[in-house]
Amino acid sequence: MITVRIEPDNEVKTLEKINTTQQLLTRLNLLSTQALIIRGEELLTPDRRIGQGDELVVRKVVSLG
Amino acid sequence: MKCRRCKELAQIALPSHHTAFCRDCFERYFIRQIETGIRRQKMFTHEDRILCALSGGKDSLALMWVLSHLGYDVTGLHVDLGIEGSSPMARGQVEAFCQDHDLKLVVVETAPKGLGIPEVYKALKRPICPVCGKIKRYYFNKTALEGGYTALTTGHNLDDEVARLFANTLRWDQSYLSDQGPALPAEAGFAAKVKPLYRVTEFETAAFCFLKKIPHVKAPCPYSKGASFTSHKALWATLEEKSPGSKIAFYDGFLERGRPAFAALEPGHGTKLSPCRTCGYPTSVEWCGVCRLKRQVAGLPPEAAEAEE
Ligand code: SF4
Ligand SMILES: [Zn+2]
Ligand SMILES: [Zn+2]
Repeated sequence: MITVRIEPDNEVKTLEKINTTQQLLTRLNLLSTQALIIRGEELLTPDRRIGQGDELVVRKVVSLG
Repeated sequence: MKCRRCKELAQIALPSHHTAFCRDCFERYFIRQIETGIRRQKMFTHEDRILCALSGGKDSLALMWVLSHLGYDVTGLHVDLGIEGSSPMARGQVEAFCQDHDLKLVVVETAPKGLGIPEVYKALKRPICPVCGKIKRYYFNKTALEGGYTALTTGHNLDDEVARLFANTLRWDQSYLSDQGPALPAEAGFAAKVKPLYRVTEFETAAFCFLKKIPHVKAPCPYSKGASFTSHKALWATLEEKSPGSKIAFYDGFLERGRPAFAALEPGHGTKLSPCRTCGYPTSVEWCGVCRLKRQVAGLPPEAAEAEE
């Protein structure tokens, strides 16, 4: 299970059965260049493994106005 | 994924460039893209006095950081739009950034001039973003003009430029397609207008701000439902994912081949500009758009009516 906070809405979700950043993006219906996937101080590329207990920030990047 | 340059673990994958970078190599890449844009489009030199419009968002703050890092003579400009909740946050972010990095900043408040966005919205009851854009451009240009700045930079990135170009292509807007681009020369008393981020995407500016620990506004403006181009951006994200490199190819192709073709069709710049009778801002009519807007918001009759009396 992983926990993600989605910015800018600040919505928090817990998700099961996610093993890579790409799977997380797909689950959230995002393309790889539409959001930063942040774990602590680092950015995760789509091939990175994530899982058990990870707390991530999904920062959507589209600028509005 | 490994960094293409140093083979460390990559933090940023850039499918458009068939590459991936670690933190340090990405910073180097990002700054180089901006330097390349400045050089190719002959935007400005180290002799210029540059005014950098700062909204408090990731793009403009990343731009200001890079320009000062490259040793340009740059001053920030923030236009405080008087929007409850969002404007104080944006302004606070900009002020903190400039203070932390020891950068010069000019702040212009629109509310005391009768042009706070909530009041304008109430008075006009039509989509506010185009009007807000006009007010911001007015204060960008006016501040540049009065302060003797020779170049005005904004944080428009490749996604913004592609979305705008796409919208204008869908309409075959000949006048836009003949003379728009990332570098418009100084003209009729206006400073040169340049967009040094036109080669980097909003994903890249967001990554840059994260890696350089530049705090920025993330919440959208409360009026942004009317913001243009969001659906075009989504379309382009899909296209780019399927065929990486499409965005920059579309935009570069326009600059190299599209624009010259449209420019050949346009009969030169017809409209002559003269100073606004109230504020001195260059305009093609007697009173500039913002002076007319001010009176409208204040519920006064147009200037022309009064002048005739
Ligand atoms: S979203 Fe619209 S109203 Fe808000 S700052 Fe941008 S242009 Fe102005
Ligand atoms: Zn590297
Ligand atoms: Zn005027």
